[in-house]
Amino acid sequence: MKQKLKYMRNSISEKNLISFSYILIFIGLCILFSASKGIVLAKEGFLIRQILWVLIGTFFVYIFRNSDYRGLEKATYIFYPLILIFLSIVLVKGEGRASRWIGFGWFYFQPSEFAKLIVIITLSSYLSRRDIRRFPVLFTSLIIVGIPFLLVFKQPNLGTAIIFILIFLGIAYIAGITRKQLIGLFLIVILSSPLLWAIMREYQRERILTFINPMRDPLGKGYNLLQAKITIGSGGFIGKGFMQGTQTKLAFLPEYHTDFIFCVIAEEFGFLGVLIFVLIYYYFLNKILEIVKETKDDFGKFVATGIFVMFAGHFLINLGMTIGIFPIVGIPLPFISYGGSSLIVSILSVIILSSIKNYSTLF
Amino acid sequence: MEREDFLKKFLFFFTCIILVRCFYLQIVRYPYYYQLSIKNCIRVIETGIPRGIIYDRNGRVLAKDAPSANLVFVPYDIKDVEKVIEILSDILNYDRESLRKKLTRKYINPFDRVVLKRNLTSLEISLIEENLYRLPGIFVQEDIKRVYTFGKGTAHLLGYIGEISKEQLDRLKNKGFKMGDIIGQDGIEKKYDEYLRGIPGGIQVEVDALGHQRRILGRKEGTSGNDIILSIDATIQEIAYEELGEKKGCIAIMDPRNGEILALVSKPAFDPENLISYLDERKHSEKPFLNRVIKGQYPPGSIFKIITEISALETGIIKEYDRIECTGIMEVRDRVFHCWKEEGHGWVDINLALPFSCNIFFGTVGMKLGVSRLIEFAKNFELGKPTGIDLPGEASGYIPSPYEADPLNLSIGQGPITTTPIQLLNLISTVANGGNIWQPFIVKKIISKKGEIIKENTPYLKKTVYIDSETLDILRKGLKNVVEFGTGVRAKVKGLEIAGKTGTAQRAATEIGLPTHGAFVCYAPFDNPKIAIVVFLDYGSSPEAADIAGKILKRIFIPEKMEEGNETETEIYEE
Repeated sequence: MKQKLKYMRNSISEKNLISFSYILIFIGLCILFSASKGIVLAKEGFLIRQILWVLIGTFFVYIFRNSDYRGLEKATYIFYPLILIFLSIVLVKGEGRASRWIGFGWFYFQPSEFAKLIVIITLSSYLSRRDIRRFPVLFTSLIIVGIPFLLVFKQPNLGTAIIFILIFLGIAYIAGITRKQLIGLFLIVILSSPLLWAIMREYQRERILTFINPMRDPLGKGYNLLQAKITIGSGGFIGKGFMQGTQTKLAFLPEYHTDFIFCVIAEEFGFLGVLIFVLIYYYFLNKILEIVKETKDDFGKFVATGIFVMFAGHFLINLGMTIGIFPIVGIPLPFISYGGSSLIVSILSVIILSSIKNYSTLF
Repeated sequence: MEREDFLKKFLFFFTCIILVRCFYLQIVRYPYYYQLSIKNCIRVIETGIPRGIIYDRNGRVLAKDAPSANLVFVPYDIKDVEKVIEILSDILNYDRESLRKKLTRKYINPFDRVVLKRNLTSLEISLIEENLYRLPGIFVQEDIKRVYTFGKGTAHLLGYIGEISKEQLDRLKNKGFKMGDIIGQDGIEKKYDEYLRGIPGGIQVEVDALGHQRRILGRKEGTSGNDIILSIDATIQEIAYEELGEKKGCIAIMDPRNGEILALVSKPAFDPENLISYLDERKHSEKPFLNRVIKGQYPPGSIFKIITEISALETGIIKEYDRIECTGIMEVRDRVFHCWKEEGHGWVDINLALPFSCNIFFGTVGMKLGVSRLIEFAKNFELGKPTGIDLPGEASGYIPSPYEADPLNLSIGQGPITTTPIQLLNLISTVANGGNIWQPFIVKKIISKKGEIIKENTPYLKKTVYIDSETLDILRKGLKNVVEFGTGVRAKVKGLEIAGKTGTAQRAATEIGLPTHGAFVCYAPFDNPKIAIVVFLDYGSSPEAADIAGKILKRIFIPEKMEEGNETETEIYEE
């Protein structure tokens, strides 16, 4: 009996992260359900589609639940070139202002979402066998991240591009990059920033300017930000109640089911809901950090770090932009925002983390 | 290991910042953002501006409000323009191009409703509502329309209401007018707009970002404007309108004792409830929007002989029985001057010259008088000057300077001189009342809904012209004979003594040979004038005009004799 209990506890703790991510997924579906009752998007059935994605993700969990993450190292030789091809296709085929999708019939996917995970694995695999303190290694690392970074940046997808930078910094930091190297990189960035400003699309510059002063154009560029603030602020302490949000329901806030989903939480559940939600997410991210800490295997450690940075980056930037302390760069809130690619990548990341936790301790 | 701890601290630090920021937005700034969110989703949709009722002198309703429905659209919501045009052009019977133009125009606020068509018929409403599911962004919205009891019959008198124009908006912006507001565009509706217009009512609705109405939160009824009582007698107005028939021209009827306008008709008229069909005709030569009574400027023709006669007698140029021979033709220097009667009137004195409207007689008299004196008298009788009637856009007419006119033409009212029909009505009234020039007016009283008198127009004596009683007698006798046996004989009514004068107005010297304008002014009863009439016919003859005036007088006075002291009699202002 005792043994059985211990086994169960173990099995729960092993799957702990995956189970925990399902709490976030469940919260996300509830919020989406509320959002789906709003106008405009009600007919599109995005809730159904999201549930479908959750099922596909769960299928992956079932298949890979016992896989060894170390198999990924070899896979990067296939996946890394493949994702570069996909990103190039998006860039060439991309129609409209910010086309990020590739379609195969009914199935659309966003290569930039998958690129994050693949870059994490590729960079981790590379650095796990070399010393970043050596200049050529640092240089090659920069190339590994730099190519997809530029492809994504040109899409243009500023948000994901920033995540790439964070991923690089995170992994490089854990891999032991020196202070000198960091300062050097920092100087390069500072010096090249005018160049960056030059390649930026007009609307990206506008967004940064709008962030500095949202009242520049309250009905145009500043509209999202202003409406987001109104939505969050009007939630008050306990919120307007589940499914009672006027701002999101009446579509004053555009894209409330994707990038601005946090507003729905803030409006309907108030500061109390926000506090609980942020703490849950914080706990989740801390759990990943624990895995980073426990993992002795370099490759596992770096991958876990990369995934942590990816989640934390999304979390902080997404919330930061919704509450107006970061420019609106258009990245989703993992597990919560509507979007298949993002959800699948998030679930795959959690599977990998769980595998790292299980296998890295075997040594 | 310190590096992982750094990541932990990093995460903790920024999570704290996010929570602090949320605390600030949701707790500290809550009231501010809450107000903004309410403002976002609550909108007041105006349900029209109620206007006061316009009554005639006897309390008959001439214009009032009635509920109506408008077709409105939210520009932002019109995605499939072609489909909308396809459906609406059939239902509304609208031209596709103008519809497309209106739907695709750039609007300042694309979320605000724009009126596509006012006053939908019940058929249109049901057709649109059937198709509403295929027309996102299109709504039927309640409004107020204006109903005119006599329709075209009072078109020029009351005017019409319509959407504020850009020029008007620029002028009236400070008074709280805004785009899409309905204001009086002509006539009494325009002149007294500030009194008539009320405070708009509205429904408070919850709307989404696209302006879609989600639910109605409240309703505020509008406050009607003030009512107006006119000096117009609807019965007489109707009579005048009927008698003018299909002819182009105008009729105005006034009380010569005080300047109250009893009727004012101009044709062709427009339908004030259905303007759209007339808008294309605006440029049309028929000018349905032109109020000929106050805006038509014509040479007065022989009616001006009244002035010539008064000047001649007053200055003593001619005595009552001085005779002049009319051979039908007169040569003055190098010019040949014709009387309208080719064979001439023979030897006539002033008592016969006026009834027969002899041009040779008055031309000769005019030559003796000289241009300056004629002009002086004409100006003394306020010709060539707006009468000051309370309608917008009154024209002044034109009295030439002594250098522009020659006495022959001027003495018979031809040449560069022009007057408006209302001025001639004033002239005949002055003759009727013995020298008083009253300012014609239409609005008697403005009364608030509570019954308080806001404004009351009392008769205003602009000036009194001294006319010797002997002159007046001769003139009046002559005018009576115009109807008895002269040029205005068709105005004759059995049992009623009428004094009048015909006039054939040539538009301008260059237009000689073209059809002329026939006019007739008169007053009755002769001994105790109560009614003065002017009839002006575009391209008509003066006997026709006299005929119409006679018929009107007959209908006003003859039944009145049977039932003594009926409505027109009792209400008319007693001096």
